[in-house]
Amino acid sequence: MTLITEQGAIEDRFFRADTIEAALSANGPVLVPLALAADFVEAKPGTEFGVSVPGSTPIDEVAPHLGRASLISVEFPAFSDGRGLSLAKKILRQGFSGTLRASGPLIADQFLDAIGCGFTEVELPETMANRQPFQQWMAAKETMTDHYQSGYGPGPSILQKRLAARKGA
Amino acid sequence: MAKDHRAGSKVRGDKLPAILMANLLLEGDTVFLTDSGWTLDPSAAKIAHDAETAAAMEAEGKAAAAANVVVDPYLVPVDLTEGGHAIARHFRDAMRQKGPSIHPDMGKQAEFPPLD
Amino acid sequence: MYRYDEFDERFVRERVAQFRGQVERRLDGSLTEDEFKPLRLKNGLYLQLHAYMLRIAVPYGTLNSRQLRQLAHIAETYDKGYGHFTTRQNLQFNWPKLKDVPDILDLLADVEMHCIQTSGNCIRNVTSDQFAGVARDEVEDPRPTAELLRQWSSLHPEFVWLPRKFKIAVTGAEHDRAAIKVHDIGLKLKTDDTGEVGYEVIVGGGLGRTPMIGKVIREFLPKDELLAYLEAVMRVYNSEGRRDNKYKARVKILVHETGEDEFRARVEEEYSKLDGPTINAPEEEVERIAAYFASPAYETLPEVSEALDDARARDGALDRFVEQNGFTHKQPGYIALTIALKEIGAVPGDMSADQMRAFADIAERYSFDEFRVTHSQNLVLPHVKKDDVPAVFAALKAVGLASANAGLITDIIACPGLDYCALATAKSIPIAQDIAKTFADEARQKAIGPLPIKISGCINACGHHHVGAIGILGLEKGGRENYQITVGGDASEHAALGERLGPGIDAEDVPAAIEAIVATYLGEKRGEETFIETVRRTGPEPFKAGFTAFIEARAAASEAAE
Repeated sequence: MTLITEQGAIEDRFFRADTIEAALSANGPVLVPLALAADFVEAKPGTEFGVSVPGSTPIDEVAPHLGRASLISVEFPAFSDGRGLSLAKKILRQGFSGTLRASGPLIADQFLDAIGCGFTEVELPETMANRQPFQQWMAAKETMTDHYQSGYGPGPSILQKRLAARKGA
Repeated sequence: MAKDHRAGSKVRGDKLPAILMANLLLEGDTVFLTDSGWTLDPSAAKIAHDAETAAAMEAEGKAAAAANVVVDPYLVPVDLTEGGHAIARHFRDAMRQKGPSIHPDMGKQAEFPPLD
Repeated sequence: MYRYDEFDERFVRERVAQFRGQVERRLDGSLTEDEFKPLRLKNGLYLQLHAYMLRIAVPYGTLNSRQLRQLAHIAETYDKGYGHFTTRQNLQFNWPKLKDVPDILDLLADVEMHCIQTSGNCIRNVTSDQFAGVARDEVEDPRPTAELLRQWSSLHPEFVWLPRKFKIAVTGAEHDRAAIKVHDIGLKLKTDDTGEVGYEVIVGGGLGRTPMIGKVIREFLPKDELLAYLEAVMRVYNSEGRRDNKYKARVKILVHETGEDEFRARVEEEYSKLDGPTINAPEEEVERIAAYFASPAYETLPEVSEALDDARARDGALDRFVEQNGFTHKQPGYIALTIALKEIGAVPGDMSADQMRAFADIAERYSFDEFRVTHSQNLVLPHVKKDDVPAVFAALKAVGLASANAGLITDIIACPGLDYCALATAKSIPIAQDIAKTFADEARQKAIGPLPIKISGCINACGHHHVGAIGILGLEKGGRENYQITVGGDASEHAALGERLGPGIDAEDVPAAIEAIVATYLGEKRGEETFIETVRRTGPEPFKAGFTAFIEARAAASEAAE
């Protein structure tokens, strides 16, 4: 897996555990599926952990973990499935301030969409990262300077910039 | 998605003889496989008379798609004219061999000899 | 009309460069065809039967002469000298090459145009009333709303990977010429009891495989809450719309399966969680956009033009043209003219580069440099001085654009069909041509009156056949093209879906079948009833009976021949 942020490729601090046994025996931060999150917290309170959730998950099921987890990894089953983008907006609306990861076979051309919806990093399977290495992601991020939609990042929207320009004038 | 609409698969009966049709990635034109690469000319299409040849042509089409030369290659069942030319059995594929029926001045029908 | 500012300009230029890069990455293998396809579609580029096809956005159907001249230039330089106006007020070129598309996009950007989101699973080009700013029954001009939505929907970070395409239409008039009830979202500008302006919001209409009339989700939405409310609708759809079956992925299916009340409740719940002021357009921005759509500098003129009346008395062709293609203008002394791209035997919606240039001159000289594209694949000169109409008519006639058949039985809309389209199951344009030739006689057309025929070459219904007074759907049956016929469809405020008359028929039988349907109408007609009014009163039964009799007579005749 390759992990990409706006600054470039980084190491993954989290260990992905698919069973409770694997999660409990790991050293350092662990990324567990939603179904194991409650058990993990009970067994190892105070340990840093992340929760992996499919993009189709209702926000009510994710919400209980947002105050405790330092990472939420939203899983995209396919690059064309945009549900995770809406889930990201809902997660951030709940006040989540940790790392928000998009995980799945996304394409570099979606980096701005992911950033716009508040994702801070993207985790790619190696097959994708081989075809579209992080340099393509860095380039894709620079293709569009502005966006029209207020409430989406980074920075103010075109509508807000126009207003500011008029008020400054 | 394109696969849903491939006309050749709807043709009943024999899938042979057949030709291999695709579009050039960079130009978009409909092209046909020959013994040496792709041609724009429908009358120059290589005709497979047996399953082995058809399979080899299909593999060549897949390889060309993987090499980013063509898009959506597929075998098209044809009938042979008296002149030995291949005419697609399905009207959709036949349209691709000729060009738009409403514009006889455009497409293959305007640029290449008729399939007779 | 709207003009780009520095932000719009940079946005469109960067988008062109972005696509140029995507093409390069497709060619070097960074992007697979499966990955590239949605990217090219979101730039309006399809791969069709013979070649690529490029669909150019004509936002809410408004263009100026400079833009049309540029389209003529592109048609001659990169295509085969013509373009095709579509049922979504866009323009298509049928023969571009992928390698040229970035250059074409740059030429479009030169005249403030683009292809953004004219295809793909995203919010498509917003459509509107072709008589916006002209019609007397207008509460408010819908174009500022449509322009705001064009900007808001362009490369929306959250809503560019939707379950399926998403179409929004806006009208500001009582009489619905934008077909808002058969769109994913239809917006109607209205006033409430206190005189405040807002929107009626309709969600879940659509044609295609499962046609549905949209449901009113909000009776009255205050105007300044639009973007936040639409964000709520879109978020519910993006999260919950079906992704397991592309034929069930449109929002109409979600509304239908969820239930109208439950869907409304989910939207309102989502809306209640949004911080409207951080999402909605600032009032100053709405006003800035609206200012571009202020009325042009009309002259103060009498309502009646003696010059035009005299000319009409002398010239029967001019008289018929004005009567049929004229539309009442709110400004005294002016008229809007429909230019039907429907010469008998021509391809509906096609326009040659020469015609484009001639028409650009006419629009520049006689209509404040502006014209509109209609969803009936026609054009409109929105602000013509009545005194100028004889000169305009002569200029149109010289380039074959003066067909006096707007709204009549030969003003047929047809999708490209199997002549071009990779999705089509049957030809569409030749059917339109054959029907038009059958009813070519002007007196006969006039006697039949308004009768919109709409033809689609596959179930996706780009020809809007479900809402044609007569609808024709071409399918494949047993290795042949086969046409199903419906009557009673209506895209207006009386929105209705057509009902099938009987089994499908062969292409060569279609014109005679239409004649049989018309004969039924003329027999049933009471007083001044139009075709659709008669169907509405009688129901489809007499038409089914007439159609069945036609089929039986046809079968008997062919038996006798054998």
